[in-house]
Amino acid sequence: MNWSEITVHIPFFGESIFLTIDVFIAWILLIVLVIGAIVYAFRKRKFPVIRDYLYTTNHRKVGTLYMIFGFIFFLRAGLDALFIRLQLALPNNNFMDFQLEKYNETFTSHGTMMIFFAAMPMLIGLMNIAVPLQIGAKDLAFPFLNAVSLWLFVAGGVMFGSAYFLNSSPAIGWTGYAPYSTAVYTPGAATNFYVFGVQISGLGTIFAALNMIVTIVRHRAPGMKLIRMPLFPWASLVTSFLIVIAFTVLAIALYLLMFDRLFGTSFFGGEEGDPVYWQHLFWFFGHPEVYVLALPAFGLFSDIISSFSKKPIFGYPAMVISLALIGFLGFMVWAHHMFTVGLGPMVNTFFAVTTMTIAIPTGIKVFNWIFTMHGGSLKTTTPMLFAIGFIPSFVMGGVTGVMLAVSAADFQLHDTHFVVAHFHYVILASTILGIFAGLYYWYPKITGYQLNETLGKWHFWLFLIGYHMTFLPMHLTGMQGLPRRVYTYGSDEGMTALNFTSTIGASLMGVSIVILVWNIWQTNRQGILVGDDPWDGRTLEWSVASPSPEDTFTPMPFIECTDPFWDAKTKGQKLKTAPNPRPAPIDEHTVLPFLMALAVLVIGFGLIYQSYLTAGIGGVAIFALFIIRSFRDEHTSFHKEGARHE
Amino acid sequence: MNNTDAALFKDKKMGFLIYLGIEAIMFMVLFMTYTIFTPPTKDPFPADIFEIKTVVLASVFLLSSSVTLFLSDKYLKKERKTPFIIWLVLTFLLAAAFLGVEINEFASYVQQGYTTSSNVFMGAFYVLVGLHAAHVVFGIGWMIILFIHHIRKIPAPLFLSKQTIFSYYWHFVDLIWVLIIIIVYVPYL
Repeated sequence: MNWSEITVHIPFFGESIFLTIDVFIAWILLIVLVIGAIVYAFRKRKFPVIRDYLYTTNHRKVGTLYMIFGFIFFLRAGLDALFIRLQLALPNNNFMDFQLEKYNETFTSHGTMMIFFAAMPMLIGLMNIAVPLQIGAKDLAFPFLNAVSLWLFVAGGVMFGSAYFLNSSPAIGWTGYAPYSTAVYTPGAATNFYVFGVQISGLGTIFAALNMIVTIVRHRAPGMKLIRMPLFPWASLVTSFLIVIAFTVLAIALYLLMFDRLFGTSFFGGEEGDPVYWQHLFWFFGHPEVYVLALPAFGLFSDIISSFSKKPIFGYPAMVISLALIGFLGFMVWAHHMFTVGLGPMVNTFFAVTTMTIAIPTGIKVFNWIFTMHGGSLKTTTPMLFAIGFIPSFVMGGVTGVMLAVSAADFQLHDTHFVVAHFHYVILASTILGIFAGLYYWYPKITGYQLNETLGKWHFWLFLIGYHMTFLPMHLTGMQGLPRRVYTYGSDEGMTALNFTSTIGASLMGVSIVILVWNIWQTNRQGILVGDDPWDGRTLEWSVASPSPEDTFTPMPFIECTDPFWDAKTKGQKLKTAPNPRPAPIDEHTVLPFLMALAVLVIGFGLIYQSYLTAGIGGVAIFALFIIRSFRDEHTSFHKEGARHE
Repeated sequence: MNNTDAALFKDKKMGFLIYLGIEAIMFMVLFMTYTIFTPPTKDPFPADIFEIKTVVLASVFLLSSSVTLFLSDKYLKKERKTPFIIWLVLTFLLAAAFLGVEINEFASYVQQGYTTSSNVFMGAFYVLVGLHAAHVVFGIGWMIILFIHHIRKIPAPLFLSKQTIFSYYWHFVDLIWVLIIIIVYVPYL
């Protein structure tokens, strides 16, 4: 059967959409899922809860929504990964219609969604949930803006995700390399979905980072000096600075690409434009982005390792300095993605050296984690298992990183599965294991329940084994020359066994995710409350109720050391209280952030299909919402209430 | 200002200054783009189309609007309503005049057939100076909202904070214009 010949035609925005059979099945599944969710919500009377979350600006609730939507996109991008692996399982394979252009669409969706709509939001979600609780802030500095960030990310993700359902998935790779991404080579809606989906969610990310910086700088509890902060807030602070710089550059790169595609400029293509300029802009964002993904995980693992070793973190100042150093060096290495472009031996050498330099602060961190565990009384809970699994896995990715930094060797390894193995080793080990560890660790603070430890350990072992099984063989196939982004290979190339192993590994990871979903479902259904401090923690978040209430830290604690909660517990005292804490941000209940994101979504769709009327309607709506916001902001109502009380 | 107002106002100031930092990075990348692609290899060349008269006129309007806004701020802090509103109205008029000159300039280029697709220099010019003009439009709308807030007599500390944030924005937009003069226009006049 030839899958690609079965199509359905549907008119849309003046274009006819060809639905291949897999898209058609996806539509039916989506409709069934949505109807199922609505019926479930009706039966269980969940609408007040949904309404509450739609209107909320509370950091824990916004963070939870970040996690939920991030996880949904994670499942979608994970399915893409399974399709890729099934297609590559055997030589000259024809798995459904995932060949040629469809294969390109699948790896593009996989990469873009995993990075922008799964990993980033889940990390930002954890920051939202944990950072205010760890530093003694009552909420983020700008609760309204926080909700705007969230809904912008959701709008961008929904927009990008809908591309597949309209059978116009972008097929340009997550890097969107010009001139292929310009209108000359990829006209039509597909690439526009990439441009606007990433742009909109990137905007939300920038605001989230701005919010995080002001919160960490200005909203710490009295006595919580910067050098007394836990390492997760530290990592979040450094990450936020990286986001503010890197994502802004990406925003302008996409802005220029939008002009190239829609309004006739030619920055990245044509006889005057320069495709390499896109590469510079993209990787000036793209490399710091790698540290945006990794640093929060570093911070999180530091706190988890210290908690479950019953010891303060080893070499705290070195940990902070190495975080900052990695962040700083992260901006000086972008051209190592471009060794084969032909920038010349001097440039390549410079970037090779700076790239290798990053191994030094990273190595410091690895040794400090190990020294923290050394001589501690270890408790191998699920979060701690993820932390322990992270260290050797990440080091393996780091070592191949140094190999790739040798620019001469990179000419051989560039764009092969070796590179795929390398970046999956570092990103999965740090970010994804980190997100899982954080989820298990802070689940009591999010819901009041603790995820099942037995299922958690099954999840961990299956995932870790599957992960190494998938990506370890890719080093070998890559060195044998298997190029990435190519949908098949010959049966005489001796790569069949290795590729098949990879596919088995990917399925194991898939099974482990099913176990995680089952675990979450069961835990919430049983609803066993575990109290404020189930892990016998060290930092402030364990001193507030579980799940964290809307009004935390009343009375406000006074901090005199790192690990204040542990210090108080061991002395058998309560936390000291501060008499005059700073005023808290004003919490509010508003649907405006959601509506703003909706308006932006309308603008985006208008521009994608070049229906400028639609875009104009969205534009009018967003400005109307700005004006409404200006007249009904929380400060005005706060003053009105104050006047009434007087 | 009471304790709460003052603390939240400081949060807002810091947040907005970081936001302006983000804007600065955006414009930096656009300035870089412009310098990379200018002068172009084919017609039209910047030296042929820029007119000293327009640049001077626009600059006079926009730069003096920064001065009038500064005076308006000063009188607001002294709580002298009449001079405050006069200087704010003047700022508004100068901004509108600047925008008029800009629209005129863009319209004359388009009439001569110089659009975004003419060459890569024109493209870089439009995305940079156009984004700045969009900021001016946004600022003009913002001033209208400020007038309405003033008429509605919202609490004084709240109005002061709104006006202060706006003046940060407006001075920033002016600073970008100074850079546009130096980087975009002056080398080719």
